[in-house]
Amino acid sequence: MKKAILYLNQFFGQIGGEDKADFEPVLEDKPIGSAGIFNGIAKNVKIEQTMICGDNFMASHTDEAIERCLKLLEGKKFDIFIAGPAFNAGRYGNACGQICKAVHEKFNVPVITSMNVENPGVEMFKRDMYIFKGGNRATAIKQDMTAMAAFADKIAGGEKLLPADMEGYFPRGIRHEVFLEDLGMEPVMACDRAVDMLLAKLKGEEYVTELPIPKQDLVPIAPAVKDIRKIKVGLVTSGGIVPRENPDRIESASATKWGKYNIAGLDKLPAPEFKTIHAGYDPEQADKNPNVVEPLDAIRALQKEGKLGEVDDFFYATVGTGTTQGEAARMGREIAADLRSRGVEAVILTST
Amino acid sequence: MKLEIGKFFVKKIEFGSKTGYANGVLTINKEEALAKVREDEHITEAELHIVNPGDMVRLVPVKDAYEMRCRIEGAKGVYPGVTAPLESAAHGRIHALKDASLLVVGKHWGSFQDGLLDMGGEYQRNTIYGAMRNLVLVADTDEEFERHEQQKTNHALRWAGFRLSEYVGECLRDLKPEEMESWELDAVNRRSESVQKLPSVVYVMQPQTQMEVPGFNTLIYGWNANHMLPTYMHPNEVLGGAVVSGSFMPCSSKMSTFEHCNNPTIKRLMKDHGKTINFLGVIMSNLNVVMEQKVRMAIMVAQMAKNLGADGAIVAEEGYGNPDVDYIQVLVELEKVGVKTVGISNECTGRDGKSQPLVALDSTATALTSSGNVSQLYNLKPMPVVLGELESLARDGLSGGWEGCVKPDGSAVLENNAMFCSDHPSGFSVKRCFDF
Repeated sequence: MKKAILYLNQFFGQIGGEDKADFEPVLEDKPIGSAGIFNGIAKNVKIEQTMICGDNFMASHTDEAIERCLKLLEGKKFDIFIAGPAFNAGRYGNACGQICKAVHEKFNVPVITSMNVENPGVEMFKRDMYIFKGGNRATAIKQDMTAMAAFADKIAGGEKLLPADMEGYFPRGIRHEVFLEDLGMEPVMACDRAVDMLLAKLKGEEYVTELPIPKQDLVPIAPAVKDIRKIKVGLVTSGGIVPRENPDRIESASATKWGKYNIAGLDKLPAPEFKTIHAGYDPEQADKNPNVVEPLDAIRALQKEGKLGEVDDFFYATVGTGTTQGEAARMGREIAADLRSRGVEAVILTST
Repeated sequence: MKLEIGKFFVKKIEFGSKTGYANGVLTINKEEALAKVREDEHITEAELHIVNPGDMVRLVPVKDAYEMRCRIEGAKGVYPGVTAPLESAAHGRIHALKDASLLVVGKHWGSFQDGLLDMGGEYQRNTIYGAMRNLVLVADTDEEFERHEQQKTNHALRWAGFRLSEYVGECLRDLKPEEMESWELDAVNRRSESVQKLPSVVYVMQPQTQMEVPGFNTLIYGWNANHMLPTYMHPNEVLGGAVVSGSFMPCSSKMSTFEHCNNPTIKRLMKDHGKTINFLGVIMSNLNVVMEQKVRMAIMVAQMAKNLGADGAIVAEEGYGNPDVDYIQVLVELEKVGVKTVGISNECTGRDGKSQPLVALDSTATALTSSGNVSQLYNLKPMPVVLGELESLARDGLSGGWEGCVKPDGSAVLENNAMFCSDHPSGFSVKRCFDF
């Protein structure tokens, strides 16, 4: 029998209502509340401990709350971590997402939660965990918990897991190939699936694409700079150019960190003092001459010619390869804020 | 335009004194067949094998697959412009061996586009050839100039395949087919009112043509399809042997010569013609290197479809990665002029499944068929018999293999990318990607 730990907020953990929302994390050595529903369904896994934390405490002291929750879990034996269901409760959804993400990262166990499609936590966390499609209020508690329990039971029993839609969780941005017959479906050839889809499309009937195009977050192009000689220009690269010792320990792929490095007084980026740590292209040329990726030499030449005015004393760098859109967007926002605080009004962004 | 194909269903292949076919048994005179292969002095070694579904046999590096057929009427050979004088492939009569194919395998050396296929075990179902009785040519050549190149034209082996498939097919010339199929499509403006009332559909083919150096691309009547703008073709031309596969596309994305001659999407559209759709024909496009070429191609496909009166289009891409741009561009341009589209392609989502499935995406592409994941990881157990050379997968730059991917015990790890024709963008695929 595998062991699971359940995370609940103050209300479902039976501590109290909104007045107890600042309740600080505890780990109880017993199943509480909806753990009973879970234990009635699952055959291969049982909830024996319940963690409870107030939604406000998690929302307003996130780092501390997570740290304390993780500390409580240290040394505990558990195979699966369950949180919620959070229904359409925004703070609760956020708490379930935060704790599941942290627990998965630290203990590398499967984490499962449940939220209503309208819960903002779905968009925030669906790439990081199994979020089951839950009801929008607490009356759905039985069916939501049942769905999580059945799935946790499959994981615990080592059963083959089906695609997101068939299991009932929000797709995590992961796509794998499956033979149709392995899902109990008719092995219809791609040509027949395509023609059938076209017939439906032509008739205005419903059809389901097999490759949904992910929603694209298109950023409008900023208006042109009126006179680039009169403003301060910043330099940013996703090409992984850093000082030789990579002081910020930026990852060579799937980066989550960025750094900024002083270039005041430099005519160009010297090698080997600067190099690339980017694992997505052959580093030979960039290591020989980092300016091929972060073109400080060309920038200085343009300054000398009077075509560019002031250039910021720092350039910013991260690595683009394998970096998720979410991390890239976060780093972009952080770098942009930093650039603004330094009075930079336009950026030359070089990739690889 | 009427093309008749007389079918002979192979239940057994065996070697014997005379090449011939009777009662489901295909007999091959090995020496005579090999003599045909050796007509090209560049063939240095050649051997023939027979493999059947369920045989615990692994073939690698597989170069191409062919239907063994002969031309009875119409053109003067099976592949006009390639092995036969240039004549239209769209009409006349062909005799063909069914449930069977010819596979050409390198004895030692593989290349980027070559693939692996298993006749038995877990991965037998990845290709249609795993369910067929196959004559297998394993041969080597003296093409030293490309021996150690990752990109090989594989000319001697591919042409040996053409000759050998014609040689075997020739035994059907005077026989009475067990079944006949007939493919016919009137000129677009000479169709009955009841047909014209149905929604009109074109099939847009994007065979692989992205090599600038000659010798690698899909040929259309022997012509390097890189050097053309999209053109209109009768579906019978494709079924009749006007299109032969090239030697460049990573293998799971490949449309083999066999698959061109048996394109299941064309067959389905032809069968639906007059019932649910008015099938206008094939717009033969290509895949390009430079953005300007891609856009020009897409605009021309769209205007051709529009002016033929198409309401809908099926677009099929032989490839992944860079050519996804051509694929999406065509879908976008067609939708722009009011032609409703459905696409057929594979995806490349990475081993963890988290990468963007196509290099280019557009919200206009609302109806896509998925035929597999290029980067799906496969774990192959050792196979008692290997035809060709297993090490080629690791050594020679096959698209889904890498150094060290073949283990000393004969097991191997590879990406689907190297599985011969496994994603069948021609339309045969019975797998797809799902969200997890």
